[in-house]
Amino acid sequence: MWREVRDREAGKILPSLFTSRVRSRRVAALQLSNRKEIVSPHRGAVNSIQVDLTEGRYLLSGSSDASVAIYDIQQASDYDEYGLIAKHRSLVAVDKHHEQGHKFAISSAIWYPIDTGLFVTGSYDHDIKVWDTNTSQAIMEYKMPGKVYGTAMSSIATTHMLIAAGSADVQVRLCDIASGAFTHTLSGHRDGVMTLEWSSSSEWVLMTGGCDGAIRFWDIRRAGCFLVLDQLRSQLGRRPAFSKHSLKNANAERMTPGKNSAKAPPSHKRVPSGSVMKNLNNSNKRQSLPRGSATQRLHPGMSSSLNRATAHYGAVTGLKSTKDGMYLISSGSDSRLRLWDVESGCNTLVNFEAMRLQTSKPLQLAISHDSSLVFVPCMSSVKAYHVWSGVTFQTLRGHYESVNCCYFNCHDQEIYTGSNDRKVLVWSPFSPAVTEMVRSHIDISVIIVCDNRKNQILDVFKINVL
Amino acid sequence: MATEMGNEMSPPGAVTTPRLIEKATNSTAQEVDPRILKAIKSATRFSDEEIRAAVDALMDQMKKPHSQVRYLAVLIVDELFMRSKLFRSHFVVNLDQFLSLSVGFRKNLPLPPPSAIATNLRSKSIELLEKWNVSFGIHYKQLRLGFDYLKDTLRYQFPNRLENAARLQQERRERHLRTMQILLNKFEYLKENFTSIKSDIQSTVDEIGECLEIANAKEENGFEFPVDGDEVEEFNSLTLRQIRLESLREGEKVQENSENKAIFDALRESHKLLITKHMSSVQEWISILVRVDATDNKFRDTALKEFIDLRNLIQSLKKKCTDLGIILDPSIKQKEDEDLWEEGKIEDYKPECTTASTSTTEDFLTKPANQENENTASVESEPSVDNFVSSITDREKLLAEAPVLTWSPFMLDKCAAQSGVLANQRGLEIEGHWGRVDPDAMIPAEKIAELNFHCTVYKEQPVEIRPCLAPLKKGGLCQRRDLKVCPFHGPITPRDNNGNPIEQGFRTVVSDSQPSQEVGELTGKESFTEAIYLKTEQSDLQDSLCPGKEVIEQLAKQAVKNVHQRDREAKALKRAKLAKIRKHNEEVLRDSAIASTSYSELFAEHTVEAALHGNGAGVKVKKTTLASMLKKKVTAKDRIARRLLGSRATDASSRQVTLGEDSKYREAFPNQW
Repeated sequence: MWREVRDREAGKILPSLFTSRVRSRRVAALQLSNRKEIVSPHRGAVNSIQVDLTEGRYLLSGSSDASVAIYDIQQASDYDEYGLIAKHRSLVAVDKHHEQGHKFAISSAIWYPIDTGLFVTGSYDHDIKVWDTNTSQAIMEYKMPGKVYGTAMSSIATTHMLIAAGSADVQVRLCDIASGAFTHTLSGHRDGVMTLEWSSSSEWVLMTGGCDGAIRFWDIRRAGCFLVLDQLRSQLGRRPAFSKHSLKNANAERMTPGKNSAKAPPSHKRVPSGSVMKNLNNSNKRQSLPRGSATQRLHPGMSSSLNRATAHYGAVTGLKSTKDGMYLISSGSDSRLRLWDVESGCNTLVNFEAMRLQTSKPLQLAISHDSSLVFVPCMSSVKAYHVWSGVTFQTLRGHYESVNCCYFNCHDQEIYTGSNDRKVLVWSPFSPAVTEMVRSHIDISVIIVCDNRKNQILDVFKINVL
Repeated sequence: MATEMGNEMSPPGAVTTPRLIEKATNSTAQEVDPRILKAIKSATRFSDEEIRAAVDALMDQMKKPHSQVRYLAVLIVDELFMRSKLFRSHFVVNLDQFLSLSVGFRKNLPLPPPSAIATNLRSKSIELLEKWNVSFGIHYKQLRLGFDYLKDTLRYQFPNRLENAARLQQERRERHLRTMQILLNKFEYLKENFTSIKSDIQSTVDEIGECLEIANAKEENGFEFPVDGDEVEEFNSLTLRQIRLESLREGEKVQENSENKAIFDALRESHKLLITKHMSSVQEWISILVRVDATDNKFRDTALKEFIDLRNLIQSLKKKCTDLGIILDPSIKQKEDEDLWEEGKIEDYKPECTTASTSTTEDFLTKPANQENENTASVESEPSVDNFVSSITDREKLLAEAPVLTWSPFMLDKCAAQSGVLANQRGLEIEGHWGRVDPDAMIPAEKIAELNFHCTVYKEQPVEIRPCLAPLKKGGLCQRRDLKVCPFHGPITPRDNNGNPIEQGFRTVVSDSQPSQEVGELTGKESFTEAIYLKTEQSDLQDSLCPGKEVIEQLAKQAVKNVHQRDREAKALKRAKLAKIRKHNEEVLRDSAIASTSYSELFAEHTVEAALHGNGAGVKVKKTTLASMLKKKVTAKDRIARRLLGSRATDASSRQVTLGEDSKYREAFPNQW
């Protein structure tokens, strides 16, 4: 490591390369953190976890006992008697006894992506509430037609501020914080919507996974969905770098910027199940297009609602797109993980090794900073898979009951997991030097460069000084 | 070099630990075989590879569907866990799996049979988890998580050793603090009242001193004891001189008479006060001063010093009093009381045993008797020594013929008899239970005398009533026990073993007339030998008179030998017979066992086994295996049921059973049909 530091100083390697190497190394050394402990005030299963996107400092967790809590994960509230274990207690906790609190389990709790002044909770009592963090008062409330399974806000949106909410109802609703009203009602799913994810490349694209096993892509500027993922339409591995077709598509995109719908028309037709190869697909699409429009004179956007393609057998329980927004990972109640090419809408046929997933609840997946590892809650453990090969990289064992959610904090390379056993666990890179030093109670202030952000180092220092 | 060795050895080395672990867990014992355990420990010390292999092997053992295997594995895990850091760090990763296998907290993964050992396994692993958490929890998050989960979420009961110990400690500390506080309070009290306490004691001491002075002065004036040197010369021996000296000393003692009775009474009173009240209070204050940790050390030291002085003074006074022969009854009474109490306890254990009671009475009679003796000696010693010696023998004689009294609580409580006794001042707090208590209630002296009246109940001497022993028609002897006349066989006469009456008159005549040897033969071996010895002694005495002395001696020896031999032979015969009978019985039992059904074969095996175990024989016993633990034990009840239901009895018995059930049902639920 010191050699790399020297190389970076000498200019032999790029700073970004250095950073990513250090990060990867740290991610590879993840294990249950002994020094950092989140003291969960929850009395029920932890269903949702998120660290705020602006500072990367405040962890929000929602639980089945209708409580939400916020922790400071950088600054410990207190230490144990030996100064070895940093305990992070909740800064804010809202539970059932709060006058505006939820009545039933909270299924999702998310931060307002712009700052930490607001957060949003969705609950089984059919309500979505927007909270002011500083006063811990609900400032807005949306009544949904059914139990709320999931909420999502786009982190890259600049022109809208919509909360996408999936509920036991078939319709996905978009709630506008500015007006306090539903702006969109997206219908297409045939069953409740378990999970939602905004695209990380386009602020207008929303992806939803339903209990009917379908994953639908919506462009919120248009009516209806423009893509339904079909598990039988597949391609082998990653998309070839530059094919003629993709070049053409790229050109089309450049001509109509932000218009993803340019690719949409081919996909909203039902695709023959036997078609595997991409060019075959294309020819089929061309054949089926005039016939479909001829038989049913539907609104072009609504035609996809007839598409009954499924992405999973059973319900889709979790969705996570890669950082670049090119790929989507989905988990289903069929205990499968699938990697989808968003551009082509194909199943990439990556075989993720055997796993067993919880079926009844939405799962929150996490993906590492460079999109090389995906963390999946598999019953009482969390498994890390290589995204491109599907090989199990690591199994994080520590929870005693099913894990519901995990979140990867890319600043500190830490993972937070919430489980049915009411705990929130921190998984952090193992650093033997630090633990040894603390254990022997030698008060040496050594600067260990492990991150280009200062947070981690600061943390280590505090412990040593104590 | 060492590492090379390790590397070389590692392929076989990696094999040893799992094999050892497997061997250790394949046992039905409650503990891991200590030798194998030691071998495992030394093997794991060999290299890190071994420890990794041990972790894997132990987890494999934990997965086996047998609680005994798991139990032993848990014990091994504990041994290694407490010793090796590497083992801990490897083991802790799979802790949730380990716990689900050892505690069985997952519903879909219950602990395997046998159930008794499964519960054992659960409690043991919970206990161990607590221990690990206490000692290593801070270094391993997994341990804390597992502990918290079992404790807080699943609400398992942990033995909570540490907390209990802490609580005990806390309690002890509190008690100590409380006692210190009490001591301090007393100390403060003493500080305030020191002078008054001291003066109180001092006044009593002074009183005694004055009394003694007066008494002594009176003695000197009034009573002149004849002390002359003439008679001394008559006694030469040392012992006699000593006796004289003693008697002289005794003579110096002041005797109580009508003149100085008042003084003596006063003296006695104040002495009693001094001994009972002041002495004990001084002792108490000293102990308090020693124990208290007050800030005022100066006062404490001076007070302590003064109290010790006081105690010495009191002791010297007491000594003076006893030296001067003032027999202060109360103190002696007290002593006797104490003695009596202890002796009484012993008597309680064996009330029947007369010898014991005499010895005990003797014990507590000695003290007053001694003193009495001294007194009598002092008075009577002057005339002659014989008298003195005789007095001692007298005492023994008297003791020998003194009646044995059963112990009673008021037996020697004479002081109480003189004056009344406060009824409610016996130290027992009886307040409040039955209404108001009068603390000044007196038991009058005559009442006490009445209560002390010693009465004895006539006890019949147990007489052994001999059985009639007349021969019966159906064989055997009559076992009726009557005093004089048996209603069936007339007056009771002594009879021999066959029931034939022995004529007593004849016998006595014979025993008189026959030579002693024959009598011996008749009555028994012991008397026979005795007779011979007697004879030899006689012959020894009159050696010159008897010519055939050696012959007689030889004869006697021969006779003794014969008797001994006969004795031995008879015993050996008896033993042989018994052994034969036992052997036969065993054989019969075994035969019958082998001959009977397969069910009882198992049973027979058990009995043989048991017998073998009992004899401590090293015959190879069929080892109980793990599989046998899983098998359900066939009890006698099962066997009977099987047999009942098995053969021709099936129909009838089943009908009977159902009938019985039916009637029972009817009885239990009379209004439900």
